[in-house]
Amino acid sequence: MPGKLWDLFIAFTRASNLGFGGGPSLIPLIKAEAVDRYQWMDNEEFADSLAIGNALPGPIATKMASYIGYKVAGWLGALAATIGTVAPTVIIVVLLGSLITKYSNSPELKAMLQAVRPVVVVLVAETAYDMGKKSFPTSSTWGIAVVTVFLLYFSNIHPAFIIVASMLFGWAMYGRTKK
Amino acid sequence: MISQLWDLLIAFARASNLGFGGGPAVIPLIKIEVVERYHWMTNAEFTDALAVGNALPGPIATKLAGYVGYQEAGWLGALVANIGVILPTALAVILLAQFLMKYSNSPVLKGMLKGVRPVVVVLIAQTAFEMGIGSFPNLTTWGIALATVVSLYWLKLHPALIIILSMAFGLLVFR
Repeated sequence: MPGKLWDLFIAFTRASNLGFGGGPSLIPLIKAEAVDRYQWMDNEEFADSLAIGNALPGPIATKMASYIGYKVAGWLGALAATIGTVAPTVIIVVLLGSLITKYSNSPELKAMLQAVRPVVVVLVAETAYDMGKKSFPTSSTWGIAVVTVFLLYFSNIHPAFIIVASMLFGWAMYGRTKK
Repeated sequence: MISQLWDLLIAFARASNLGFGGGPAVIPLIKIEVVERYHWMTNAEFTDALAVGNALPGPIATKLAGYVGYQEAGWLGALVANIGVILPTALAVILLAQFLMKYSNSPVLKGMLKGVRPVVVVLIAQTAFEMGIGSFPNLTTWGIALATVVSLYWLKLHPALIIILSMAFGLLVFR
C-alpha cells in the first residue's frame, strides 16, 4: 500500500511538473503515467474518467488525480495523487513568486515556452486521436461527434450540458440492449 | 485572520465550482473574486500573478490560489485557498466514481459511457485546436510539431522527455 501511494504521488508530480499550459495540457502526461507506465487503467477507462471529470466543474488535473488515486488506493490514494499534482508547483509559486515576476518576461523563458507549445498541442491532439480509436464503434457514435462539433461552434450550449445530454442519449440508444 | 481565511475558502470554492472546462476556465472567475469582489489585488497585480503561474508547469487554478492565498494570509492562506479550489470537485468526482464502479457492469451505464465518449474526444480535440491557435508563429514551430509526432509514434519517446528536449531547443534557437 505505501508503495502504491508513493507511485501515485510520483506519477502525478511528474505529470504536473512537465505540463505547461494549465490543467488540460497535463491530460496526455497523466495518460502516459496511468495507462502506459503504471497500467492502472486502459484507454477506455481513462476516457471515461475524463468524461466524468469534464462533467463536473473545477480544474481537470485535480479531478483526474482524485479519480485515479481513489481507484488505485482509496481515499489516501486520492490524497497522495492530488498532493503530487498541486503541492510542488504551489510551493514554487509562493516561494519564487516575486523572482518569477521578474523573469516572466525574460527572453529565455519566452523562448522555452514558444518551443514547448507546439509539443503540447501535438500531445493533446494525440490524446484525442488515441481515445478516438475506440470511441466510434457505430455510425451513431459518429453522429454524436458531429452534433457535438456543431453545438460547440454554432451554439452557446455549455460543454457540461452536452456531456450530460450525450449520456442520456446513450442510455436511451444503447442502454437497453443486452450485451 | 479567521474571517480572511474563510473569505479565501469561499472565494476560491465559488470560482472553482462554477468553472466548467478545467483550470483555464476558472481564471476569469478567480479574477472576479480577487479583483472585483474582495479587492485583494489590482488588475495589474492579477495579471502579474497569472504571468508567474503561466511560466510554471502544473494546473493554473491551484497556482493562482497558492499565490493569492499566500499574499493575503501566508502559508495557511495558500492552503485554505487551495482546499477551496480542489476539495469540493475532488469529492464530487470520487463519489460519482464510487457510484459508477458499483454499476460498472450495468447496460445502462455502458450505454451512457458509449454515448459520452465521442463527446469527450471532440472536446479534447477542441482543446488541442484552441491551444494550437497562436502556437505556430513560424515555420520552426511547425518543425517542432512534426518532430514531436515522429518522436511519439516512431521513436516512442516518453512525452516528458519530448517536453524537456523542446524547451532546451527553444532556449538555443528562439532566444
